[in-house]
Amino acid sequence: MRIWPLLPLLAFASPAIAGELIFQLTDAKGAPVRDAVVTLYPQGRPVPITAPARTYQIAQRDIRFNPFVLIVPVGAQVTFPNFDPVRHHVYSFSPVKKFELKLYAKEQNRAVRFDKPGVVPLGCNIHDQMTAFIKVVDTALSVQTDRSGRATFGAVPNGPVLAHVWHPYLRAPANQIELRIASGPGRQVQSVNLSLRAPPQAAASY
Amino acid sequence: MRGRALAPNLRHPFARVIALMCLLFLCVSPAHAAAADLFSADTLSAIADVRIVAANGEKSWTDGGYGKGRFGGDHSENWRLRPVAAEADLIWQPRFTWSLSGTVTVAAQDKQDHPVDLIEAYFKFKPIPKGSTQISAKAGLYWPSISLEHHGAGWQVDDMITPSAINSWIGEEVKVIGAEATIARDVGSSRISGTVGVFGFNDTAGTMLAFRGWALHDYKATAFGKQSLPPLNELLEYGQAEKTRPLIEVDNKPGYYGKLEWRMAAPVTLSIFHYYNRGVPEAVTTRLQWGWKTRFWNAGVRVDPSAKTKILAQALVGRTEMGFREPNRYWVDTKFRSAYLRVSHQIKTLTVSARGDWFETRERGAFLDRAESEKGWAGTAAASLHISSNINIIGEIIHILSERGGVRQEELGLPRNQHQTIVQAALRLTL
Repeated sequence: MRIWPLLPLLAFASPAIAGELIFQLTDAKGAPVRDAVVTLYPQGRPVPITAPARTYQIAQRDIRFNPFVLIVPVGAQVTFPNFDPVRHHVYSFSPVKKFELKLYAKEQNRAVRFDKPGVVPLGCNIHDQMTAFIKVVDTALSVQTDRSGRATFGAVPNGPVLAHVWHPYLRAPANQIELRIASGPGRQVQSVNLSLRAPPQAAASY
Repeated sequence: MRGRALAPNLRHPFARVIALMCLLFLCVSPAHAAAADLFSADTLSAIADVRIVAANGEKSWTDGGYGKGRFGGDHSENWRLRPVAAEADLIWQPRFTWSLSGTVTVAAQDKQDHPVDLIEAYFKFKPIPKGSTQISAKAGLYWPSISLEHHGAGWQVDDMITPSAINSWIGEEVKVIGAEATIARDVGSSRISGTVGVFGFNDTAGTMLAFRGWALHDYKATAFGKQSLPPLNELLEYGQAEKTRPLIEVDNKPGYYGKLEWRMAAPVTLSIFHYYNRGVPEAVTTRLQWGWKTRFWNAGVRVDPSAKTKILAQALVGRTEMGFREPNRYWVDTKFRSAYLRVSHQIKTLTVSARGDWFETRERGAFLDRAESEKGWAGTAAASLHISSNINIIGEIIHILSERGGVRQEELGLPRNQHQTIVQAALRLTL
C-alpha cells in the first residue's frame, strides 16, 4: 500500500474531516486483489497534490520490473535503474507517455518525467516476459491495494466521493470502474468485488 | 570429412551466414558501436547435460537397430546401465544494435556424425513497437516455431529430458535455412500473430519418419552432420544412402511455412502451423540423398489454469513421398500422424510432468508397403528439481510401445511388437 506522505497534513488542512475510508477488493473467487489503484475525487474534484517532489523508481532485477504497479503524481520523475547483468530495452507506446530507454547492464542513472495522468504500460523489447504499469494520478487521494486487497485512506472529506478503481487485468473499459459513495464520519469499509482477466501468457520462446 | 565440416568454405550457406555475421561486426558504425555487444559475458552461455541412463529394448537406430529411443538395452535387449555425456552447447548471442541480434549455437552430442557441430545460426530483427502492432523477422539456420516444449537458444526441453514424438521429429528433421517475418497485434486483451517463412535445405525431411518410424529422443539436427537410419529393405538399400543428411538442398525449389497464433484473454494460446517443402520426389544427389515431398499441419494448444500448472497439447498430420513412380506410386509414400497431451505442475522448486503420446504411420509406397506401417504409444513421467539458476536435476521414465512389420519382421526376424523403457537422471548445468 502506498499513500502520499503529506496526506495526514491534508487532513488537518481541510475543514471537513471524515474518518477512515477503506476499500476491500476481492476477485470473483473472494481472493484479495493486490496491485489495484483506488483514486478518490471528493465532490468529483481531484485533491491537489501538495507533496514535495520526489523521485520514484522502477527497478529491473532478475529480469523483472519491480514494482509491478507504481503510482506517481503528474509531473513526477521515475528512474529505471538496471540491477541486472544484462541489457534491457524499456519502452512504452502509451499515449500518456511514449518513450524508450536503452539500458546497459548495471546502468542506473536513467529517468523519465510523466506529465499527463493515465496509465503507462511498460515492456522490455529484449525480454518479452517483463511487464509493469505506472499509474500517473492527478489527485492526492490515491492508494494502491496491499497483499490483503486493502486500500486505506486516513482522512476523506465528508460528502459525495467519486472513486476510480483500476487494475491492469480488470474486465472493464480502460481496466477501470467508477463508484459513487458518500463519505461520512468514522470508519467506513467499502467492499468491491472485481472481475479480473487472467494475466497474459508470456510469448512462447520458440 | 570431419575436417571439412568444421572448416566450411564460403560456398556453403551456413558459412555465408557466419560470414555475414562477421561482416556485420566489421561494419558496426561508430554511431552503433555503443549499442553493439559482441563478446561480453552477456553474449556467451553454455549448457552441459550429463546423465545416468538405464534402458532396455531394441538397439537405437544410432546403433543400427529399430529401437524407439535414444538409448536401448544390451545385446539381449535386457537392461543396460550407462553414464552418458549427452550434450554440451556453447551459445553466442551477439547484439549488433538494439533491434538486431544474432544466435549461434554449437553443440556436442553423443553418437552423432560430428562430435561438435553447428545447430543454430540466425539473425533476429525486432524493432521496438510503435503501437499495439509489432513486427519481427528472423533469418538463418533455425527450427521453425512448432514445438511448445522447447525454449530459447540451444532449443532446450522445458522440465523434461525427452520431447514428444512430434517434437523429437521436428528436432531431428525439420530445421531450415530460411527467413521469416512475424506481425503481432494486440486485439483487446488478446494477441494475434501471423508468421510466414520461406526456406531451403530441408529436402530430406521425412526420411527418418518413413524408414524408422516415430521415436522419442532429444537428438538435434546439425548443420553438417548426417543421421543414421535403421536397416533398409532390399528394394531401398541401394537407392537410399545409409545415412540421411537433414540440412541439404536437393531440388533447388524453396519451401514455405505459415503460422497463426491466438493468445487469448483467458490463459489459453492456440496455434496452427503449415509446412510444405515443395520437394521433388524424383530429385536425388549423387550420394543418394532424395528430395522428399513433405507437408504437414500442426495444431497446438497451451493452457495455464494457474501460475503453477501448464497443459500442452499438439497434433500433427502430414505426408511425405520419395523416389520414382512404380508405376503409379512413389517408392515411398508415408502418411504420418501423432498427438500428445502433457501436464506440468510446479511444487516449490520441483516441477512434475506427465505426457501421453500416440503416433502412427501409414505406408503406401511401391517399395515401402503397408507392412511397414507403424502404430504406437508412449507414456512419460518426469520430475525436474530447480536447484539454482545454474543447476537442474531431471529424472525421467519413458515407456514406448510400437507395432510395425515389414523388414524388421520378415528380413531380420524381429517381433512385430516392441516395448521399451528408458530411465534417465540428468544433471543440467547452465553457465
